[in-house]
Amino acid sequence: MLVGSGLVKKFGDTLAVDRISVSVPAGSIFGFVGPNGAGKTTLLSMVTGLLRPDGGSVSVRGADVWSDPAVAKRNMGVLPDRLRLFDRLTGSQLLYYAGTLRGLDARTVKQRSTDLAAAFGLEDALGRLVSDYSEGMTKKIALACAMIHSPRLLVLDEPFESVDPVSAANITAILHKYVAAGGTVVLSSHSMDLIERICDRVAIVVNGRVLASGTVTEVRGTGSLEERFLALAGSRITAEGMEWLHSFSD
Amino acid sequence: MVTQFLGLKLRLLANTFRRSPMQNLGIVIGLIYALGATGVTVAGLASLRRVDPLLAGSITVTVGSVIVLGFLVVPLAFGVDHTLDPRSFALFGLPTNRLAPALALAGLVGLPALFITAIAIAQVVTWARDPLSVVLASISAIVIIATSVLGARISSSLASLLLATRRAREITNLIVLIALVSLAPIVAVLASVDWDRGGLRALRSVADVAGWTPLGVAWSAPAELASGNGGVAVLKMLIALALVGLLWLAWRALVGWLLVAPQRRERGANPVRLGWFGRLPSSPVGAIAARSITYWIRDARYHTALLAVPVAPLLFVIALAVAGVPGSVLALVPVPVMCLFLAWSAHNDVAYDNSALWLHVASNTPGWADRFGRLVPALLIGIPLVLIGSPISAGVSGDISVLPSLIGVSSSLLFAGLGLSSVISAAFPYPSVRPGDSPFAQPQASGTGAGLIQSVAFFAAIVLSLPALLLAALGLLNPDVRGWPLAALLVGVGLGLVLFTLGVVWGGRIFTRRAPELLAFTLRQ
Repeated sequence: MLVGSGLVKKFGDTLAVDRISVSVPAGSIFGFVGPNGAGKTTLLSMVTGLLRPDGGSVSVRGADVWSDPAVAKRNMGVLPDRLRLFDRLTGSQLLYYAGTLRGLDARTVKQRSTDLAAAFGLEDALGRLVSDYSEGMTKKIALACAMIHSPRLLVLDEPFESVDPVSAANITAILHKYVAAGGTVVLSSHSMDLIERICDRVAIVVNGRVLASGTVTEVRGTGSLEERFLALAGSRITAEGMEWLHSFSD
Repeated sequence: MVTQFLGLKLRLLANTFRRSPMQNLGIVIGLIYALGATGVTVAGLASLRRVDPLLAGSITVTVGSVIVLGFLVVPLAFGVDHTLDPRSFALFGLPTNRLAPALALAGLVGLPALFITAIAIAQVVTWARDPLSVVLASISAIVIIATSVLGARISSSLASLLLATRRAREITNLIVLIALVSLAPIVAVLASVDWDRGGLRALRSVADVAGWTPLGVAWSAPAELASGNGGVAVLKMLIALALVGLLWLAWRALVGWLLVAPQRRERGANPVRLGWFGRLPSSPVGAIAARSITYWIRDARYHTALLAVPVAPLLFVIALAVAGVPGSVLALVPVPVMCLFLAWSAHNDVAYDNSALWLHVASNTPGWADRFGRLVPALLIGIPLVLIGSPISAGVSGDISVLPSLIGVSSSLLFAGLGLSSVISAAFPYPSVRPGDSPFAQPQASGTGAGLIQSVAFFAAIVLSLPALLLAALGLLNPDVRGWPLAALLVGVGLGLVLFTLGVVWGGRIFTRRAPELLAFTLRQ
């Protein structure tokens, strides 16, 4: 479904993504895990056509994202991390906007908006401006925007960040159903538990490189995914030199 | 703590100037204007020293009341000076008893406080007729300064409390806009009053009333003393002092309340209603147009740009009128100038989106659809403006035969200017204020080229309209030849539409090619 090969991105002297190649089979949930600043967002931005890579190529169902964007982007639903939304629109206006830009007609968009709002528990919020939403609600409306044109592939950057547990369980259920019906999900997170629970395959990204990838069982080996991750990422736990924190100034 | 607050306020004041050259120019012009107005007021008050006390009192009380009213109303309307909002200090755990005086004193640092101090001192000069008057007028001066500064702090805090919801702010903005537009007729009415005969009586009756209101009571006390009403003077001074005490109590209570008050939440609108999205066709162009219109209505950054559209020709006309240009020519100026500014206001539209632009990139939106959709609001305002404004302008100028030229030049400026803006906003975006920030805030990184891009976008639109302008000028200079105005109309509209289409197509190509780079640019802001 998604094939990336030799992806490279440099920001000045720092190599954010260093020749990463991935292959995501159709009908799977693929998770990228890594510490902050590992290059997950950079990688996913290049995959979705938001950031031009310095080298390498990406294709979605055989269509190259950078030379044939019309086909490749039509098949992709995107949830970027830390990018703004058009937040002076109400929730329903934003959904309508996202759907219409994807070429859906008004009736389909309205129908799907209602369904998505119900699925994500946003019914009461649709009439409010997105700028007044909490972070978790903003994440959910952005997720709804990513799904509205029923793409074959969902690329979600940190979809569970600041989402409450009930909504997270809800989203997981939606994603599992979507995959069962033949959809494919690529997501990133720094929550090992979550990735371990919902993904079929994972790749551990540290400093712009994939250190391990494969099915969850392959990658975690005998321990938990978190142990394997800490071993690869180089666990560095420093709690020394902070004694002043325990001196409690009144 | 007071010293820290004063230092903070001084630093904030100095930082006002760390902006782009264009903004600095605007600040300097505003400053010169304010200095001029203050200077004139100060000189006027000082020269009243030799005027009969009754007349002098009428003038000081009226002018003074208007100034104090300004201190109360301007923050309410514009919500200025959020820099030392009590709310900002809620998390520091400072006791209200120390925070309230410190914030009030910090209010003394600033240009408005400086101006009112100068004016209040000039008022002492007005009444420097005998020692007792000097003493009373000096107390008045302190009371005036305290009333103005405390009043301004209270109303700007009230504004931040009451106008926290977006709907409330939208309504206030609308009211301010209407007030600005209706200023012109008021000035006209004032100019028509026969000041020689009825004027003085009108002034005195205004002052009589204002002298007993909180706005003018402190101004009125020394005037009463000079007129020989010692008892009334003392009474008025007591009222003024009591008023400052009340204001102080109100401020203290307000600071205490703001520190713990929750933010107001807005009730949601009917979710089924889509606003402009429901009225325009459901295609990418229609949706982008609806989004743009919604933003022009809701986003304060667009409001400031739009405000220039009626205000710029007003200033232009005033300047030309002062220079002695006849009214028949002046009447032709507003419509083309408004079209020029309207078209120009769209020249950095992409930067206004900030990183929300990703949605267009991820959806592979056609470049021309993005370009055209963004220009729709300007067209919706501009086309009726040309069609309705031009006949009115021509009528006022007294020569209906210039109508074709006027429509030609205005359309050329509007359409060619929009085409130009479409190319420039895709090719040369520069950092702008981020969504949700105050429209007067400083962009995070002022580009070096911002001023250059602004000027090019402005003057190139004029250059592109030169053919229509030249033909119109020929028509004005040779009123006997009937053909020139018609030629100006055809060339203006025709060339304008061609350039508009070219701009949308060319800008669209640039957008399609550079969309990821544009997104990267917005992320760097």
